[in-house]
Amino acid sequence: MDPAAPWWIWPIALFAVSFAIGIVAVLAGVGGGVLFVPIVGGLFPFHLDFVRGAGLMFALAGTLAAGPPLLRAGMASLRLVMPLALVGSIGSFAGALVGLSLRAELLQTLLGILILGIAVLIWRTRAADRADVEADALGALLHLEGEFVDPAARMKIDWRTHRTLLGLAAFGTIGFIGGIFGLGAGFANVPALNLLMSAPLKVAVGSSGLLISVINSSAAWVYLERGALLPLIVVPAILGVMLGSRLGARLLGSTPAPVVRRLVIIVMLLAGLRALSRGLGLSP
Amino acid sequence: MSADEPALRELYAKWLDRASKVGFALCVGAFILYAGGLLPAYLPASELPRYWGLPVSRFVALTHMPQGWQWLRFVGYGDLLNLGAVALLALVTPLCYARVLPRVLAERDWLQAALAAAQLAVLAAAASGVLAGSG
Repeated sequence: MDPAAPWWIWPIALFAVSFAIGIVAVLAGVGGGVLFVPIVGGLFPFHLDFVRGAGLMFALAGTLAAGPPLLRAGMASLRLVMPLALVGSIGSFAGALVGLSLRAELLQTLLGILILGIAVLIWRTRAADRADVEADALGALLHLEGEFVDPAARMKIDWRTHRTLLGLAAFGTIGFIGGIFGLGAGFANVPALNLLMSAPLKVAVGSSGLLISVINSSAAWVYLERGALLPLIVVPAILGVMLGSRLGARLLGSTPAPVVRRLVIIVMLLAGLRALSRGLGLSP
Repeated sequence: MSADEPALRELYAKWLDRASKVGFALCVGAFILYAGGLLPAYLPASELPRYWGLPVSRFVALTHMPQGWQWLRFVGYGDLLNLGAVALLALVTPLCYARVLPRVLAERDWLQAALAAAQLAVLAAAASGVLAGSG
């Protein structure tokens, strides 16, 4: 896009891109933030500091809106979220401080490597539901267990998690990375909850949204404090993703999700390569 | 003792639902006032393209945009009113935790209460800007 275009073109274009990301993210089952930062960082004239600030609010807004129905359906567990979010938000806070002190070229390079890695992670990850998990001592102390009614299977599912210490370490790290790059980190939350801690997939997906809403809140304050939230960038992004997600949810039943998922992986590979080439000074 | 999880979830969901709806409505309203030119801007939108490609530290140094909670003093400007509305979205989670904390205390679920209090302390530290500074 032409950097000399009138100012009002950019918020409109940002709204349109965020709307499209909102649709695709729901259809592909990935968090929108992981698409927003590399795409907007690569195609728009905004400095990466403002893009990451908007990326955090983008992910935060989506999860705030989705939280109530997930909690009411029992698919987001407060018991599971509270200890993990505490560690994650400390990591996210630290990550935001570190991220805002790094040079843009280094951030672009690291972002490119991260996005390429996430694309491979999304491509390779398979979900697993294990019902026979024994809670570890810390998990039992924290009551990391619950039940929910799965409407698809029409049955009540009792669940508990294990590997609590590893889970806490994972969420500290995920929060730190999310804070640096302004990502929601749903791409990592769900595998950490499902594959590492053995939470059922639906509980992992639901709780991941609630975790993002808590974890991103702490990093968002750092970006706000430093002046890295520009309303002209943040608000069109928030509105775009919210409307796009609603349309995506409606299209969910009639769209071939595996095709969209492959498309998202290709877009992420391209966006990751673009960020990497910019970071290494190979493209403007 | 262990607090009743479904009741706690319902309480959190109710406050999350209300607070985020209010936050989004204020965001949209403030943005219409700002982008529609109905309120003056501290930094006019037409001048933003000169600065938004700069690192935030340079942006702040050149534009003298208020940082942290300073926007409270300038809510008569559309862009800073809008920033305040965006900040409200980041206050939704602490609000929900603050609502849940007395409930778990009343149910003598000390572990959940400690976790909620610690989370509130982290969010308050982040929101206060004490540790974030303005680098």
